[in-house]
Amino acid sequence: MSTVDITMPSKRYKQKATIFMVSAILISIACIYLNFNPIMFFTEFHYVRDLLGEMFMPNYQMLYENTSTGVSILQTLSMAFLGTLYGGLLAFVLAFLAASNTMPYKAVRIVTQVFVSMLRVIPALVVVLIFVIAVGPGSFSGVLTLVIVTIGSFGKLFTEIIENAESGPGEAIFSVGASRLQVIRYSIIPQIMPSFIANLLYAFDVNMRAAISLGIFGGGGIGFQLQMAKSVLHYKDVTALITIIIVLVILVEKLSDYLRKKILGEGKLR
Amino acid sequence: MTGQATYSFKRYRKFVLPLIALIAVTEGAAIVCGATFDKLETGLIKGISFLQFLFPPDWAAFKDMIEPAFQSIIIALLGTIFGTILSVAFAMLAASNISHSWVRNMARFLIGLERSVPEIVILLLLIAAFGLGSMPGIVALSLGCIGMLGKLLADIIEEIDPVMIESMESLGANKLQIIWFGVMPQIIPSLISYSLFRFEINIRLSVILGAIGAGGIGYELDYSFSMLQYHRASTAMIVIVLMIFGTERLSYLLRKKFKVEGALQ
Repeated sequence: MSTVDITMPSKRYKQKATIFMVSAILISIACIYLNFNPIMFFTEFHYVRDLLGEMFMPNYQMLYENTSTGVSILQTLSMAFLGTLYGGLLAFVLAFLAASNTMPYKAVRIVTQVFVSMLRVIPALVVVLIFVIAVGPGSFSGVLTLVIVTIGSFGKLFTEIIENAESGPGEAIFSVGASRLQVIRYSIIPQIMPSFIANLLYAFDVNMRAAISLGIFGGGGIGFQLQMAKSVLHYKDVTALITIIIVLVILVEKLSDYLRKKILGEGKLR
Repeated sequence: MTGQATYSFKRYRKFVLPLIALIAVTEGAAIVCGATFDKLETGLIKGISFLQFLFPPDWAAFKDMIEPAFQSIIIALLGTIFGTILSVAFAMLAASNISHSWVRNMARFLIGLERSVPEIVILLLLIAAFGLGSMPGIVALSLGCIGMLGKLLADIIEEIDPVMIESMESLGANKLQIIWFGVMPQIIPSLISYSLFRFEINIRLSVILGAIGAGGIGYELDYSFSMLQYHRASTAMIVIVLMIFGTERLSYLLRKKFKVEGALQ
């Protein structure tokens, strides 16, 4: 009798099977809707092989033949740096205006919070398209875009960090007659500085990647070079530029990890 | 006295020198980028006067935008689903308690390499290979998942309870059985929460990839901008913002729900 129960599919099994089937059908409907056939990736793989054949060997001569490559590497790095620095500073100021323990007026807090979350929702693509029209294509529009993107993604985080700061030291200073600014300067800023710097280094890491993709939309830098090389079908240059990008991204990541460890100290990493 | 001297020297070395270096680097970067304050001023004035071209949005174009937006969402969804499946496979290969050390090192190297190539570069190459369309977009998004989810999941798999795997091994379970019945149930809550998080990122990326040639709402936006139809562009912008905001809220709610279930397990 009990064997019958075991061989029958259990309720849980049926449930799982139904979920699996329904999602499989939905996925295939979506694939048909978009004309996307995953098997096509393998049947038409010879295109990728042809492309790879055209891409090798990478043309590293363009590194020293053409000064624009070196300049564009520098441009991408400086875009990421300036975007992180100014965006981080603005986000820092805005975070103090949005945190409940530093800003007593609720109206200011709400306005700042809405502003920051608006910047967060607008995608970088829209921002860069507007700035390319406003200041012309080039790395300056990329910098401005990265500033906006950095404020959007880190403003809220900094606000939370400030709100999580311990209130004890601030109250102690306040009780002996410090002004609000002095409380911020001597109690909150020392507490949040390590995580602020760690987050800025992380932002530099993220902005480095963003700077590459912004270049494709007219933001200048190495992404622009890549787009140019691709559109004139110089695939050997494309390979060289991709390897440069990979090396740059890895180097920046390692550098920011190293600096973060050095500034925070191994043990203090929270 | 000496104490005073060392204090000021320390302050000089720890604070003043890095500050000078920071200012020098900022100056250099500003020169390289051609960033000047009068350029910023003229740019801001021009930008603000440009914003009035965007208003009012072209409401008639709103219904033309619904289908591209839906396409973008589907591209992001399919990219996330296929990418999650791929990244689970890669994570299994990259976890030291499941695979051999040389397989693990190779998989970790591949994941790291993948992580340092931006999705947009992958897409440019795929478009060069397969031509325009949604397929390069979906493939680029799924490959992009491997870099992020693969690493996170591999770390989670390495931290799971080893007792379960050992007991299954002692009963004679094979590798697939261990993975299916021992590893998967333990990682599913974090798998769901990470893939929802990745879905948010993929929605943003699918807009950007669309502007390069993967179709969808990004293409509409880029096309309207280059055709100087700014009212239409601002409609597309509103649709994009609504789309991103909606998926973010949805993923936040779902993640909260699944996190609770994971904690109860």
